[in-house]
Amino acid sequence: MDFEKLKINLTQDEKEILNRRDGPVMEKVLRTIVFYGEVLDADRLVEITNSGHLVITYAIPGIAPSMEMLDELIDSKMKVEKSFTLDPKPPLDFENWNLKPEQKKLLLQMYADQKEYDKKMLLLGLRDPDACTCTPYLMEVGNIPKRGDILAWSESACVIYANSVLAARTNRNGAIIDLLSNLAGKTPLAGLLTDEGRKADWLIKITTEKLPVPQLLGAAIGEKVLAGVPFIKGLDKFLGSGINSRTRDYLHDMGSVCATAGAVGLYHVENITPEAIDFGTDLITEDFRTYVIGDDELKKPEDYISGKSEGRTPKPEKCYLGCPHFSLEQLSWWSQKIDEGLKRSGQKEIPVKTTVCAAPQILKKFKKSKAFLMLEKAGVKFSFGCPLFDELGEGESIITNSYKLHTYTSAQFYPDDILLSMLFNQKS
Amino acid sequence: MKKQFTGRPVLPGNVEGEARVSRKGFNIYASFFTSIHIKSDKAICADGGNKELFGKELAGKIICLPKTVGTTSGGAVWQRLINLGNSPIAVLFSEQIDSLAAGGLIVADIWTDKRIYVIDQLGDEFLDTVKNNDRIKIHQDGSIMING
Repeated sequence: MDFEKLKINLTQDEKEILNRRDGPVMEKVLRTIVFYGEVLDADRLVEITNSGHLVITYAIPGIAPSMEMLDELIDSKMKVEKSFTLDPKPPLDFENWNLKPEQKKLLLQMYADQKEYDKKMLLLGLRDPDACTCTPYLMEVGNIPKRGDILAWSESACVIYANSVLAARTNRNGAIIDLLSNLAGKTPLAGLLTDEGRKADWLIKITTEKLPVPQLLGAAIGEKVLAGVPFIKGLDKFLGSGINSRTRDYLHDMGSVCATAGAVGLYHVENITPEAIDFGTDLITEDFRTYVIGDDELKKPEDYISGKSEGRTPKPEKCYLGCPHFSLEQLSWWSQKIDEGLKRSGQKEIPVKTTVCAAPQILKKFKKSKAFLMLEKAGVKFSFGCPLFDELGEGESIITNSYKLHTYTSAQFYPDDILLSMLFNQKS
Repeated sequence: MKKQFTGRPVLPGNVEGEARVSRKGFNIYASFFTSIHIKSDKAICADGGNKELFGKELAGKIICLPKTVGTTSGGAVWQRLINLGNSPIAVLFSEQIDSLAAGGLIVADIWTDKRIYVIDQLGDEFLDTVKNNDRIKIHQDGSIMING
């Protein structure tokens, strides 16, 4: 690499690594990060200060690095300094997904390398075999960055949460670059790592009569601002100030959709998120744009039903909840609502085959509760896996409260209240 | 209409091909969701949310877009498409390349032996001008010619 032609400033140590001081694989790893920084107009690379969270859980090339690439890294004795967490595991716990034999066969074929892949992740620095969820920042899971921490996270829902709610600093790193950055221990000082990059270029004014459905609000914001940084006014009148478990779950659901419908990696919410509390509207750039979101601006659920559903029976056959993974509080809320639905409809079992997803640590705790026993008796299944696979529902009518799941599979999105009505065969 | 634009050559080279245009953010993962699983010389856009490109062939084409959007799982997609032989030949951004696309395309460039050519910062007018099926010539210096 011709260092002199690069705009990014390199340390002597980095130059020596790029001259293969630590071997050809380390050179290739750092060269990738340096060029990544160059393209992002980074001034320099900075040290990563806390554990990573990586999106690469599935042993499928195209989603994860190839096995050959992982072997190249492992053979060179590469391992991250601070152990990382990973996204949820693939849905290989078949008993929880109500699968047909051909669906199981297909998943087994797709994930033939999964066990080998899991071993490689542990060798590269996965914290433990259960450190797999898209809510690593929940207390029970424990990968909780501090304010100001420099990270190289991926998983769009985690990146936006870490930046916005925890005020840590990470760019929206993609699969593979996440692993390479954490192996190098460095990430480019660019974008959302800089004070300038964290300024809001959009002012979002919420004028709705009641608290918007988080997924619908996230979709409206994401589609409008794309990769911008929104400063959101008007949510505190519904949610109150600061962060509590209700606000956390709301922002976690809203943020995951901002990052799916757009490429939002950070938002500020007036009187709620840490940087907005400290700096208020000083966070907004001079040439900001404004987007007013009233009730008419939010899409109706039927707007999300795309051509993908053509030919399907409108009667739902399966329901997937917990994408992103539920918190304990969300599990409790759904338990209560399902219990009410069963009693109201006079049914003992939930009529639609339902799978609820949460982190292994959350499910372990929830399984000690009476609510779990009630749901289990009603036929609800629980998984720490990820439902983001079309192969789970090929040819079936699946409903979900996850906009993200709807985006990537044939599952149809409905807000919680409508979905609950559909679960018990009632009109909304 | 013949028109020239100049941007920043991110992964430079000389190539010519047919345009596939997304005026909204291009969701990498949703677009190639099916293509990454099947060894084929085709890559049909599977993103039902992208009305301009849904159902269109993307393999061997030049994708024209403002930025990419969506899940960070999209980062590994480019490497996979190259290995399967059904990747686009180039990606042209009207804005500065976003971190998700940058990371994925650079990893693919350094860790495989084939290049997907990339130019960014071509400007809003580029995206207002280019249409699906236009012929585009891409040059090493970051300039492109539509229907030239």
